[in-house]
Order: sequence, then C-alpha cells, then structure tokens
Amino acid sequence: MTPPLRVQAAESVAVDPIGMLQIGGDPLRDVLGAIPRPIWVALVVGLVGLVVALVLGTLTTRLLVRLGVPDAIEGTAFERTARDFDTSTVEVLGSLVRVFVLAITVLLVFSVANVSVAFSFWTRAVQFLPQLFLALVILIVGVVVGDKVDLLINERLTGVKVPQIGVFPRIAKFTVFFVAVLVALSQLGVATLALVVLLGAYLFALVLLFTFAFSDMLKSGAAGSYLLLDQPYVIGDEVEIGGKRGVVQEVNLFVTHIENDGEEFIVPNRAVFEDGVVRIRD
Amino acid sequence: MAALSDLLGAVVSDVEGVFLFSPSSSHYERFADAELDVELVVVAPENAVGADPYVELPLEFTNVRDRIRFGIEGAFEQGLVEEGDAIACSVGVFGGDADGVIRVRIEESMRSGIYDLFANSRAEPGVIRDVFEVAIELGKKGQKGKPVGALFVVGDAGKVMNKSRPLSYNPFEKSHVHVGDPIVNVMLKEFSRLDGAFVISDAGKIVSAYRYLEPAAEGVDIPKGLGARHMSGAAITRDTNATAIVLSESDGLVRAFKGGQIILEIDPEEY
Repeated sequence: MTPPLRVQAAESVAVDPIGMLQIGGDPLRDVLGAIPRPIWVALVVGLVGLVVALVLGTLTTRLLVRLGVPDAIEGTAFERTARDFDTSTVEVLGSLVRVFVLAITVLLVFSVANVSVAFSFWTRAVQFLPQLFLALVILIVGVVVGDKVDLLINERLTGVKVPQIGVFPRIAKFTVFFVAVLVALSQLGVATLALVVLLGAYLFALVLLFTFAFSDMLKSGAAGSYLLLDQPYVIGDEVEIGGKRGVVQEVNLFVTHIENDGEEFIVPNRAVFEDGVVRIRD
Repeated sequence: MAALSDLLGAVVSDVEGVFLFSPSSSHYERFADAELDVELVVVAPENAVGADPYVELPLEFTNVRDRIRFGIEGAFEQGLVEEGDAIACSVGVFGGDADGVIRVRIEESMRSGIYDLFANSRAEPGVIRDVFEVAIELGKKGQKGKPVGALFVVGDAGKVMNKSRPLSYNPFEKSHVHVGDPIVNVMLKEFSRLDGAFVISDAGKIVSAYRYLEPAAEGVDIPKGLGARHMSGAAITRDTNATAIVLSESDGLVRAFKGGQIILEIDPEEY
C-alpha cells in the first residue's frame, strides 16, 4: 500500500516548488524554472522507482526467508556458489527484483522526459524485459530445484552400497535443468522445437523402460495395495499361493512372506491375482 | 607421576585390541595416527569417524558392562578378536567423553547374547531397537503416572499368532501401524492398559494387541520372582524364533528374552 501513497506525496511536493517559481522572481528560482516540467516529473518518477525497487527487493528477500526457502535449498550447488561470493540465493533473487524494477524505472523516466532516442527500440525493450526477468527466475529456480532433487535422491540412496547408483540422482538433476532451460528459452521466444523433440524422445524412452522393466513390480504393487487395504489374509493365517503353502509372516506392497517348516517363500503379490489364494481352515 | 603411569601401563600392557566407545573424532584420530600394532575397534551408535572396523551400538547402554559386552560380542562375531584375547576399552563411564580405561579378557563365560539379541534376531535390528525405546519410554512415564507393564513379542509373528489366541477384538486389525511411527508411543501408552501381549512382525508391523500367549512352558528358566507376564514372554521365545521384550509392572525394569533365556535387563530410569 505504501508505494502509491508515496507517489502522490512526492508529486504534490514536486508541484509546489513549480507553483512558487512562477510567483517568485529571484535568480535561483529563475534557474530552477528554466528546467522544463517533464524533467521534474521524470526526476520524481526516478526517485519513486528507486525507493520501490529497494523496498520490493528487500520484501522479496524477507518473504523468501519467511517461507523457509534458505533452509530448503541448503547445500545445493547454486547456494554454495552464491555463498562463495558472500551472498545467498534469496539475496540474488532480491537483487534481481531490484534490477528489474530499476530497469523499468529508467525506461519510464526516459519516456516521461520525452527522450526520443531510438524510441521504438525502447518500447520493444520494455516488452521484452518482463520475459527476460521471468526467464532468469525460472533458470535460477530450475538450477536450485535440480540440485535439491539430486541431494534428496542421494540421501535416499545412501543405504544402497552400489557405486554406480550415483547415476540416478544426476539423471534426475539434469532432467530438471533441461526442462528449466527449455521453459526459460521458450519464455524468451527462442526456437526450442528441436529441444522439445529431444525431451519427448527422452521421456518416451523412460516411460518405455519403466513399463517393460518394472511391469512386474507395478502389477505386484497394484495387487499389494489391494491386499493391504482389504486384507483377505493376515499375518498368522495359513495360505497357499501358487503352490507355496505355509503361514503368512509378512505382507508388504510387493511381496508376501510365507513360511513353512524352515522354508520361507517370498511370493510376489501379483501371484495372488494370477493364481488366486487358498486359505486353509482346519 | 611414574607410579601413575605404571598403574595405567599395567592395565593396557600386552593387549591385543583397543576398543573405543563413542570416541570424538580427534580422540579417534590420535589412535588411528599412532599406528598401534593392535586391533583398533570403534563401537558407537553412529560411525561418525568413518572407522573400520566398526560395531554399531543400537542403544546407548548406560550400564558400562552391557556396553562393553555388546562391543566385544559384536567384534567377536566379525572375527576381530578371539577367545583369550585381552583388550583395553576406552569408555565414558559417567557419560560424555571417555573417562576410563577397562581391561577385559574375553572368555566364553562372558557371552550373554546381547549382540545376538539385536543383530541376529529374526526381526530387523532397527525394529528391536524401536521396541526397546517404546518400552523404555513407557517404563519412564507409565500411564497417567502409574507404572504399567507391557509384553512385546517381536518377530516370527505368523507362528506367534498361531500359538496365541485373542482375548478380545484386536484394535490393530486392518491397521498399518509400525513401531517407530511417531503415533505409536501415544497409541501403545493407551493400549498398554489392555491385558495380553503385543505381537510385532519381523518388519515392525504391529499385528495385534490383546493376545493371550499359549506356549509350552516346560524348560523355561527365568529368575524366580518374575510374574506370569515374564514367564509367558520367555516361554513363547522358546517355542518360536521370536524375541520378547517385557516391561515389568512391579519393578519397572525392561527385560529381553530369547530362546527362553533372559538376555538383557535395563532400567528405564537411567535412559
């Protein structure tokens, strides 16, 4: 609410001296009066723009801090790089907002002050500026989110002691980067058709891989969710699934553990739907 | 001062291994850099110093004997030490940093099965630890300030269910609650007023409450004076491959049974 009020106040202050100038007659006022009215307005607009830029930048930083963004992105590469330059991601975003508002102010000042230098160029610049700003923000967010995804998946996989496992977090990270770059570029109006095609092919391959490689897992998971929700048999029941007979020891999403005299069968849950279950009552 | 060094020298002379219990990283590095010609074993809840060999401590046993026993049995299992070895243990007896050095000679008679209880039970080590924590918590706070008793049978749930019968409707029917879930502490506190045992599966799912255990009690050898809850808990571990963790209502101690034997006894008030 404050910025518009400030504009009004500033304008009234600006009008007053001009009014006084017309009455007064001493040399100083003459000099001041020689400056044309648009210049004054431009000056005020510039000042207001400066204040708004500073306030908005600080507000953005504070808002992001309040939302817990610094904690959420702790340890990502972007944040660490920012730290190396004695700043932080939220500070960078705040500065970006400041620069954006300042740039708009400068253009506004030019147009108010009737500076007609390369006018068409500036109008196009004004139209382009928000897109550039958005593209930059998308890029930063993409990089930070990608890093965060990498960290999260890495944390998840720490228990799995396979050296090659490191490839999965990186794939996820670069996928996010790629999508962010794509969105940012299309925001700028750069031709991205080839990249979109590439993304499509990549996603198609991924989906294909999943459906083929993990179809059994998916089937078992679907059957398992039924078993967990409906519980046709529970731990302690004696059952026979696909020729494996014994006491149920454990039911989870993908498999059922059935134990029988020192033999423990780990049966995939899809067998429940493929072969059916025999519950043994005696 | 020479006499003092001699005193410590006598404790650590001719040891075949040095056990560091929860060492700080600087403490550990001093030993690691010294290149001692004896086995250096770290026993801690977390391998923060990246040591190898390392024995994971599931609970911070306040009883130093239990802690040392656990470390030694763990190292024995990994083949780091053998019977007859003398080892020096650097432990924190009064909590915090290491403040004592204890010399132990490993003998078969020391073997209490405390490491087996966690590492080689049917149930996962994390599940046993979680049940211990729940039992300790319950023993400390009681229910509405009054001491409560509880009996948890962990692992081999299918067989345990077949060797027991329900006393009433099972409150955990069609639920998917696992020990270690945040809600469990509160829930178990409420359900602990129910009679009977809690049955927990290998993976930590709470299968049932209100179970009346019906094991054969022959050949179960537990200290005299323990009540029916302990007796049935001990007996079911003889009949099945389960582990029983019992919170006594009368003396407030938490005891663990396996194979019909009492393995571990801890006082919740000390945790």
